[in-house]
Amino acid sequence: MIQVNGDGMEWQDGLTVRGVLVHRNFRFPLLIITVNGELVQPKAYDSTLVPDGAEVQVVHLMSGG
Amino acid sequence: MRQLRIDLSKCDAGRATCQHECESSCVEKVFKLTDPAMAALHIRELADGSGQAVLCDQCGDCVVVCPTEALSRNKLGVVVIDKKVCVGCYMCMGFCEKEIFERNPEWTEPYKCISCGICVKACPHAALEIVDVPEPAYRIL
Amino acid sequence: MSQFVFDPTKVMDIDFTKRTEYLEGLEAIKAAHKVLKEISFTPSLPDKGYNHRSLYVNVGTLEVKEKPVTQQMKDVFLGGRGFGLWHLWNAVKPTTRWNDPENEIIICPGPVSGITQYAGTGKSLVVTLSPQTDIPIDSNVGGYFGPLLKFSGFDALEIQGKSECDLIVFIDGQKGIIRIEEAPEEPVDSHVLAEVLTHMYAENDADRVNISVVCTGAAAEHSLIGMLNFSWWDHRRGCIRLKQAGRGGIGTVFRNKRIRAVVCRGPQVKGDLNNVADYETIAKTGIKYHKEIRENDPYQCMMRRNGTAHIVEIMDAYDLLPTHNFQYGSHPDTHKIDSAYWQSRCTQKTVDGCWYGCSMACAKGADGLVVKTGPYKGHTVTVDGPEYENAAGLGSNCGVFDPDYLLELNFYCDTYGICTITYGTLTAFVMECYQRGILNKERTGGLEMTWGNAEDDLEMMHQMARGEGFGIIAGQGVKKMKEIFIKNGWGDPKLINDIGMENKGLEYSQYMSKESLAQQGGYALTNKGPQHDEAWLIFMDMVNKQIPTFEDKAEALYYFPLFRTWFGLNGFCKLPWNDVVPSNNAQQPEAHKIPEHVQNYVDIFTATTGIKIDKDELIHQSAKVYNFQRIFNIRMGKGLRKDDHAPFRALGPVTTEEYLSRQERYDKQIAEEMKLDPTTMSLEEKMAAHRSWRQGRYEQLTDAVYKRRGWTPNGVPTLERLKELGLDAFPEVVDVVKLHL
Repeated sequence: MIQVNGDGMEWQDGLTVRGVLVHRNFRFPLLIITVNGELVQPKAYDSTLVPDGAEVQVVHLMSGG
Repeated sequence: MRQLRIDLSKCDAGRATCQHECESSCVEKVFKLTDPAMAALHIRELADGSGQAVLCDQCGDCVVVCPTEALSRNKLGVVVIDKKVCVGCYMCMGFCEKEIFERNPEWTEPYKCISCGICVKACPHAALEIVDVPEPAYRIL
Repeated sequence: MSQFVFDPTKVMDIDFTKRTEYLEGLEAIKAAHKVLKEISFTPSLPDKGYNHRSLYVNVGTLEVKEKPVTQQMKDVFLGGRGFGLWHLWNAVKPTTRWNDPENEIIICPGPVSGITQYAGTGKSLVVTLSPQTDIPIDSNVGGYFGPLLKFSGFDALEIQGKSECDLIVFIDGQKGIIRIEEAPEEPVDSHVLAEVLTHMYAENDADRVNISVVCTGAAAEHSLIGMLNFSWWDHRRGCIRLKQAGRGGIGTVFRNKRIRAVVCRGPQVKGDLNNVADYETIAKTGIKYHKEIRENDPYQCMMRRNGTAHIVEIMDAYDLLPTHNFQYGSHPDTHKIDSAYWQSRCTQKTVDGCWYGCSMACAKGADGLVVKTGPYKGHTVTVDGPEYENAAGLGSNCGVFDPDYLLELNFYCDTYGICTITYGTLTAFVMECYQRGILNKERTGGLEMTWGNAEDDLEMMHQMARGEGFGIIAGQGVKKMKEIFIKNGWGDPKLINDIGMENKGLEYSQYMSKESLAQQGGYALTNKGPQHDEAWLIFMDMVNKQIPTFEDKAEALYYFPLFRTWFGLNGFCKLPWNDVVPSNNAQQPEAHKIPEHVQNYVDIFTATTGIKIDKDELIHQSAKVYNFQRIFNIRMGKGLRKDDHAPFRALGPVTTEEYLSRQERYDKQIAEEMKLDPTTMSLEEKMAAHRSWRQGRYEQLTDAVYKRRGWTPNGVPTLERLKELGLDAFPEVVDVVKLHL
């Protein structure tokens, strides 16, 4: 299990940051993502593995009008 | 279109054998200014001793973003600024990937290389030339 | 994460210079003009953003005069919306209503407005007493009018009185002439009128760019939801473009005064007309920002390609796209009106931007639309938009997923002079009433207002423009429709009140606030009514869970409304603040505020006015005006806690269908938040539990927000707060507050 913005999510081997975004349907382009407090740059979303038990924070910046 | 080109193998970026007459002639004769740092082309010496040139290749990206059509191609295909129409928004400067635009704090309009060839004549090493090349396709920016 | 990459081959090949022209009768229209008043003035340019005078025009008495802009006005109200509110305060009494002659329309650009080096710096703020809310409305609008007015010599235009004939106010900032002309034969609708007047008042082709027309259209005369269009000349397209001061019925007030148009002819714009204190700082900040747009926008929001419509599919993905009158948050047909479609439909091969220097350029134009209905049937027109609000309001919220009809609805809203947001929300309400039998074909006079019926939707709008049939009722807005339907006994009053999406008389804009308590406050704990321009907190609250406690939410509902008020004091657009971010934004403290951009604004303000501020002073500047506006509302008989209540549709599930569509979420909340067992409860019991829990939380939020804002539990700014803000210098302001303490 991992925590994504405080919600539980099943963990599986090889789970990447991109995998978390796809699973949660987080499609907004302006995100600030940390895995266990470490910032992940957008170009590393595909290559960064999320370990089991990780706390993932996906901060969406403001949007809307 | 007329385009300014440089052969860096002939250019003396480090000023051992010239005083960058290209820059000083440009700034004095074309723009009636004195500081060569404000010329419309720049030759820089890099840390490894090699040269780097900042030249306008008349790509026309600035024409695409200019809100007033102050930037346009003249009949030689060279991108020129109509100062009367320019509103000094500097979008051309921000969107120029080669950062070739210059700005004099005394003027609101920026200025740029017009492929006039004055620097070509001034270069003691014949490193610069004006060539005629096809216009690149319009880019949506 | 970019949604997709721009592919120029997918853009439709539409000739953006081709459209129907309306200049044939120009000479005859002009010949019918009769000068009612002409005075001369000395044109001037601002000094550090201010001309230090405003222009007062009374269209009833034909009085025209200059008024000084005092140091106190600058210190307390800054400009823009602040000046607008101050002029309006002095013009009206507590008993004044929108259609009284003393009501004013104030157009004010703000001190920064008119610089050309930074994105989003050509805005005007329009203020009047709203026919929908009976309190001040403020609307932030692009187009060239505000900067051209300022460069003619005036920091604000105050229009008062009521005329007995249709007239045009013409301000010629080149020649120094103000003329009021009777205009009996003008075309009525904006896309025609603005084109005709631009050609009429420009002295030659090159002069058209110096003309801006403020006007409305036929529907503003027969409804309370009229809007004002602000034009600019699009040189490449060879046509006028329009931006809208949409909310709250300003266009209705304009026509009630019998004004056809206000036209400004300014001097030719140059980069230094605002005579700022520190040009170099503004130039450097602008170039840095343009570069950021070039480098980051193609990988972030793609504002240059899609405009604000880039969030249509985003809102759908997060269950936030209002669908069928805010019942649901997504729809399987959203892909038909998403940004991929608008990217291909809007012209990409030209320059957009509603003022010079806007590198964000969100004002997308859709050219070559052949109109299918109404008085312009068969005409080829250019439509500005659709922006997100239009795609959501006219589209998903009414179940319209046909993009051509959506463009046509957008076109007619604009040219008829009605607010797209308001029209979208009121039509969604009409359609839900139709679905639930509150309305039927007999009651609508034959209109079949089923979800997605764009033809009858358009017909309702044409009726509004003609002043006929059910269109007249719909044009009263949701609040008055609710009263009419209840009075006629057409349905359960509780249901009608629950689903009518208005607060203070203004229709909600197009986001779903049901699952975000902070956004419920962002909509209803506002000055003018539920418009997203005070605070958009849904992601912070619902998705990020960054502001879990009432105090956290209250802090966000303190900071963001004040931060965003500041744009309207200065003549800034909000979009360049947060629709692109610097590459290193994530590493900054308080990244969600986009600190580098906040600093840009601080720097530009200081460089314009010479007044040194920091980011905290910025908030303090806004707080003065924000609290003044609250007190203005109280003075007009509103602005108290009772006026901040929200319809239940904005807070939670009204109907069983809504509950069932999110049953998992709602049942979980019953178990975890309310500590009840949903498995032992009937659907009705569960819905009742949600209603009481959600309304209770909204009240708790209201308490927390009022406390943070320095207001009493009844929503009245305290005397201590007034003193902190320097508003105690105005005895008449203090007197209003004292009555409620």
